[in-house]
Amino acid sequence: MALYNFKKIMVVPTSKEFIDITLSKTQRKTPTVVHKHYQIHRIRHFYMRKVKFTQQNYHDRLSQILTDFPKLDDIHPFYADLMNVLYDKDHYKLALGQINIAKNLIDNVSKDYVRLMKYGDSLYRCKQLKRAALGRMCTIMKRQKQSLEYLEQVRQHLSRLPTIDPNTRTLLLCGYPNVGKSSFINKVTRADVEVQPYAFTTKSLFVGHMDYKYLRWQVVDTPGILDHPLEERNTIEMQAITALAHLRSAVLYVMDVSEQCGQTLEQQLELFNNIRPLFANKPLLIVANKCDVKKISELTEEDQKIFADLTAEGISVIETSTLTEEGVMTVKTEACDKLLAHRVDGKMKGKKVHDVLNRLHLAVPAKRDEKARPPFIPEGARIGRKTMEVDAPKRKTERDLEVEMGDDYILDLQKYWDLMNQDEKYDVIPEIWEGHNIADYIDPDIMKEELKVKDEEMQEIRQLAKQIREKRKLKIVCSKDKDVHGPRLPRTVKKVERKTLEKEMGDLGLDMTGKDDSHYAVNARRSRSVGVAKKRKREASVVPTSRTRSQSASRPPRDQSGVRDPKMAKQAKKLMKNQQKDMNRQGKKGEADRHVFDLKPKHLFSGKRKSGTNDHR
Amino acid sequence: MCLLPQPQNEHIELHRKRHGQRLDHQERKRKKESREAHERSHKARKMIGLKAKLYHKQRHSEKIQMKKTLKMHEQRKTKQKNDDKTPEGAVPAYLLDREGQSRAKILSNMIKQKRKEKAGKWEVPLPKVRAQGETEVLKVIRTGKRQKKAWKRMVTKVCFVGDNFTRKPPKYERFIRPMGLRFKKAHVTHPELKATFCLPILGVKKNPSSPLYTTLGVITKGTVVEVNVSELGLVTQGGKVIWGKYAQVTNNPENDGCINAVLLV
Repeated sequence: MALYNFKKIMVVPTSKEFIDITLSKTQRKTPTVVHKHYQIHRIRHFYMRKVKFTQQNYHDRLSQILTDFPKLDDIHPFYADLMNVLYDKDHYKLALGQINIAKNLIDNVSKDYVRLMKYGDSLYRCKQLKRAALGRMCTIMKRQKQSLEYLEQVRQHLSRLPTIDPNTRTLLLCGYPNVGKSSFINKVTRADVEVQPYAFTTKSLFVGHMDYKYLRWQVVDTPGILDHPLEERNTIEMQAITALAHLRSAVLYVMDVSEQCGQTLEQQLELFNNIRPLFANKPLLIVANKCDVKKISELTEEDQKIFADLTAEGISVIETSTLTEEGVMTVKTEACDKLLAHRVDGKMKGKKVHDVLNRLHLAVPAKRDEKARPPFIPEGARIGRKTMEVDAPKRKTERDLEVEMGDDYILDLQKYWDLMNQDEKYDVIPEIWEGHNIADYIDPDIMKEELKVKDEEMQEIRQLAKQIREKRKLKIVCSKDKDVHGPRLPRTVKKVERKTLEKEMGDLGLDMTGKDDSHYAVNARRSRSVGVAKKRKREASVVPTSRTRSQSASRPPRDQSGVRDPKMAKQAKKLMKNQQKDMNRQGKKGEADRHVFDLKPKHLFSGKRKSGTNDHR
Repeated sequence: MCLLPQPQNEHIELHRKRHGQRLDHQERKRKKESREAHERSHKARKMIGLKAKLYHKQRHSEKIQMKKTLKMHEQRKTKQKNDDKTPEGAVPAYLLDREGQSRAKILSNMIKQKRKEKAGKWEVPLPKVRAQGETEVLKVIRTGKRQKKAWKRMVTKVCFVGDNFTRKPPKYERFIRPMGLRFKKAHVTHPELKATFCLPILGVKKNPSSPLYTTLGVITKGTVVEVNVSELGLVTQGGKVIWGKYAQVTNNPENDGCINAVLLV
């Protein structure tokens, strides 16, 4: 079931704000420039657009208000009734109806004026028509001032209503004012309802949640009800009556035994009998509160007779005291059990149960012999259970100690430490010892390690391991000393001669004869290095004849020609790099690269021209 | 699923009641209030455009109200000489005979004015209106295979056609009165009651620009129209119910989209 959450309703603006927002939106979001000399259809379209835009905005906003507010016919009757009590159903419906009418009127105005604008033959005429149209729409909105104010107040109040699920398990508290309903709910749930000595402290419904038997329970606190007929009840009491009438819950009628609330027991009984019809079909429980002041057994005969009568009718009466918490748990468990039984009964009588029942089957294992096999409960659990039942005093908490000692209290967690040697509990542990940080050396398994160390075998293994480590380090150092070459080329860069390859492979045991057509031999022949494969006999080395060849050997490279000293060379290089910086930053390939990647950047060609230039807008 | 409590009903006020305000609440409030004047003036100086115009207008009216209240308060505190303690009509001695003269002057002026107006002329709220030329009121519609014929005219102003009006066959109609410009109701103001009613039009009595417009039913500013006043429940001295009266149009209906008229009593 959907949780009734009225917090998502949008804010309803006041009529003045509404008009301002819509008109300024029209002014900002539609084109603003039109001239007399434009073609007439363009002028017409310009003004028609404004009229339609304004109408669209009003329509949208008003529709949203109409859909956001809950329809009283569509929500659960509990909420419908509650809203009727709080906001008056007629007024609510009227206000929404007015908004609906306004929306239709605005639509009609826009339609009429757009139709008229088609006959506009000059800019002045179209402009006047647009002005008349917008003015009319805004006047319609001005008339809705009262409705909008009312709806805004309703929205604010609605958003703060507690979310009560009408279909789930609920306990409802009712009774005279000041009997202790709010104190009860404060004790049982985490709701923080205000408790004060004057009557009608609780002025509306409050909800709290609690757990019992792994289920979620709602507890609803109501304002007190006085004893007069239904017609005379005010809004606050009517909320309680609405909750009683519509929520399927267990009713806890709270009575004040000590009569501190200002009403006698007879009056409380009178009220009980008066609202009895509302308790039809609901599990009922009477809570006799404030029993720490006066117990039922201390009452007079007549008063005790009242409670006896009630018990005789079959309604359980439980004495409680929200001050000492006596009986609160009993009330809770009994009410919950009763309600659960009631609900289960109801469900069993219904039709839906059979679907579930058909699928459920409780399998009980068959006994194979006569041996008794009771459930095993460990001793600790048994003791725990016993203490829980007996409600033995719990062990003293630190908080209790603190309260006791007052100002003298010091938080001393070291007394709980579990050490082998109890005397060492309060020893001071240093942080740094002999230059080492003690925290680095903490090892939780240190006791085990210590014991291990004493073992003889382990000693020998350790000795051996130490030797191996030392030897290894020495070897590494020696090999490092041997390395005089420094960084070396990887093996694959060097060219491997055919005969070295064949020799090495032959040494290793491979048969390398007759490998002329092998892959490596063929490749070697095909490669360009002519000089290596065929060694021709040459005469004395021939001097190169062409000039370029000779000069290329003797001519200095261009970045070194004309440069006197390394300082100048460095400067020249720096100049070159500086010049390239700009081009590199723009991602250009070189000086000649004039390609523009984005001829029409979006930020220079979109948006209105306000106070920018062509370089920025 | 956690059992966190939800904020209900007046939780804000309850929290304030239980825990009070922030420790610096009063100081912050005082400072914020004193800053308001500076912020308002900053806003008023820096705002530009349409927003500024609207804001300044609103602020101006606010200031006028403030000044009025201040003045009112000041008046209560100080005593002022009441200048018109002398009753109306009481005149000092040296003005006694002149008074008679001025009254006589007023009477003769009235008579002169009445003589000026010719007999039989109605007293209408708008005696003179700008005459609307034909090019303004009637638009030329070209027809024919080559769009050369120009004998059709379309009315560009608001007009009224009767209930039993049927167009002539389109081929033969010379004056086109478009449906979008036909109006049946007018907003008529009663000059004495100062109330406005939306009354149906019965017919166009006279259009001051031209009798052609009267026959066509064109309604412009200054046109005298007959309206159905049975809604007002006026009765003649004889006991007969008045159901038609004349009213004069006071606005330009084609610019405003509605006909506003003043009842001629």
